[in-house]
Amino acid sequence: MQRSEGQEALRVDNLFCERGERILFQDLALVICQGEVIQVKGPNGSGKTTLLRIVCGLHDGYQGSITWCGETTREHPEDFLSSLTYLGHHVGVNKVLTPLENLRWSCGLRQETDDKDIYSALEDMGLKGFEESQCFTLSAGQQQRVSLSRLLLNQSNLWVLDEPFTTLDADGVKLLEGLLCKHIDRGGAALVTTHHNLGVPGLKVLELT
Amino acid sequence: MWLWFAKLGSPKWFYDVSDRWLPWLAGAMALFMIVGVIWALLFLPPDYQQGLTTRILVIHVAVAGTSLAFFPLMAVAGTITLVWKMKLADMVAKNAAALGAWFSFVTLATGSIWGSVMWGTWWEWTDARLVSMLFQFFLLLSVVALRSAIEDTDKAAKACALLSIVGCINVVIIKYSVEWWNVLHQPASPLSMSSDNANGPEFWMATGVMIIAVYLFFIVSLILTTRNEILQREKRSQWVQDIVRAA
Amino acid sequence: MNLKQASIFQAFVVTLKRDLLIAYKRKNDIVNPFMFFLITSSLFPIGISPDPSRLGEIAAGVLWISALLASLLAMDNLYRADFEDGSLEQLLVSPHPLYFLVLAKNIGHWLVSGLPVVLISPLIAYMINLPQESYSVLFFTLLIGTPILSLVGSIGVALTVGLGSRGLILAMISLPMSVPVLIAGTLAIQETANGAPLAGYLAIMGAMLLGSITLAPLASALALRISVN
Repeated sequence: MQRSEGQEALRVDNLFCERGERILFQDLALVICQGEVIQVKGPNGSGKTTLLRIVCGLHDGYQGSITWCGETTREHPEDFLSSLTYLGHHVGVNKVLTPLENLRWSCGLRQETDDKDIYSALEDMGLKGFEESQCFTLSAGQQQRVSLSRLLLNQSNLWVLDEPFTTLDADGVKLLEGLLCKHIDRGGAALVTTHHNLGVPGLKVLELT
Repeated sequence: MWLWFAKLGSPKWFYDVSDRWLPWLAGAMALFMIVGVIWALLFLPPDYQQGLTTRILVIHVAVAGTSLAFFPLMAVAGTITLVWKMKLADMVAKNAAALGAWFSFVTLATGSIWGSVMWGTWWEWTDARLVSMLFQFFLLLSVVALRSAIEDTDKAAKACALLSIVGCINVVIIKYSVEWWNVLHQPASPLSMSSDNANGPEFWMATGVMIIAVYLFFIVSLILTTRNEILQREKRSQWVQDIVRAA
Repeated sequence: MNLKQASIFQAFVVTLKRDLLIAYKRKNDIVNPFMFFLITSSLFPIGISPDPSRLGEIAAGVLWISALLASLLAMDNLYRADFEDGSLEQLLVSPHPLYFLVLAKNIGHWLVSGLPVVLISPLIAYMINLPQESYSVLFFTLLIGTPILSLVGSIGVALTVGLGSRGLILAMISLPMSVPVLIAGTLAIQETANGAPLAGYLAIMGAMLLGSITLAPLASALALRISVN
């Protein structure tokens, strides 16, 4: 699906969420347009991860509306989910499987995935030569790179990334920033939590308190 | 808008309404309970076949009948929790599980006291009702256990709601399969607990009074524990703080 | 790259393949339940009596209860690793109905933990002196019954997956729920030994299996969403 830049993609309105006895958000509003990256900032416990999980439909203890291209994600999740790639705190990489096998599954869930594409994505992520080693032999940063390969393979419109930089080295950081730049050039949208200063043009910041 | 109403309006509404109803319900319960217990335990004429043991059966039947209401109640409350996210439903369901386990236990206990006299044994696997009551007891305990294992109130509410629905369906299947198992293992014993033909009309009248008493007891305890739960969970809200200050 | 969306069937197949592959790489997932079944059922003769005729009487129950416990013990693996490493979240954000993906995981799990128990059961039946004519009944009832145990047990596992002390609670939830299957399985063995036709029992268990295939994955899927929340 090709959409013109600047068009509204994801819209969050009147979001209310409480955790335990504490109100996390009240009247939170957020709009992401095509070709836009929004960085979510805030101190620990301000609900960055919760916000991302709410957007992806992993957390339903909220009130308010979330729409994707005009349709509420609660009622019409299929369209939304097939244009979403979510990478959470946990990398979603099984330790006994190889990067190749992990990606065959997690990308195969969404689209027909060719091994050739997986090899080239892993190569782009700097994991050439590790395609067939079991993931428990890889470092945390390398596992994160396996997880990030999904961004290349899924070609989703919306990326939702929770602290994607934490375990990456300087090269990895540059690599991911490059991916984000390419993504918005193509008209994609992204919602990212990080404390890192993102080197991405047109970045918008959402501060949570 | 509706969600806000359901979330904030309902517990307070329940608290206010129950405040008005509680004295009447409690009074009626006390009346029926006193009449029922005294009648059943002191004045009911001995049965020609069972003798005085028939008197405990009055209480047993009443408690057993009430204990069957718990799983359906919890399943309905669970459905409301999962579909409409109404917090009040979970406040009711939370205490229903423990209360139901207690009712099932009393049913089993009175049943085996009766059995110890009539059958000469405290436990009898050939009575299908005792066996399925035992498994209902276990299932209710598992809901209580799941609730206490999950710290997050919201998550515990949803998990227990789902388990109550699954458990309710299961109790029905267990009931029928245990009866089936029972029939094939041994023909129904002549002294089955139903004793429909053995007891006279006075027995059933006393039982009727007792059933009403136990149901009222069940409703009153559920209301009391729910009110308690409301105060705890809504302690931040203004109206609860007003009540606390006034007290 | 020209991307073509995966169908539900393809998603089902990749999930099943992945779970089988993980089990193949962690051999103990296959061997442990099987060994547990073997060991538990060989404790009964020691605990009760070595007398063949007494063993023959209780053999059906021993085999069924051992299979039940083996299935319970194996269940814990079903979602835990995926919950811990985040794969479960990837499963939940996939655009397909969770029902089919959960069903795929349940089938995969039964193939590696339930089926081996069913296959070894005639050997154990021989060791504890199950009457000759009951072998095929035992085999077929276990073949239909153990998937029901997996499907129903999966609900409890999904509800308890994020908890610290889940073992005992899982047992409290799943064991009472397996009573109907246990009754059907053991009755089938006893009653066919007394001359009753097997077809009726298989029909009842088949109905239970169909019912649990239809409903249990729905409950498991909902339970997983609750646990991940």
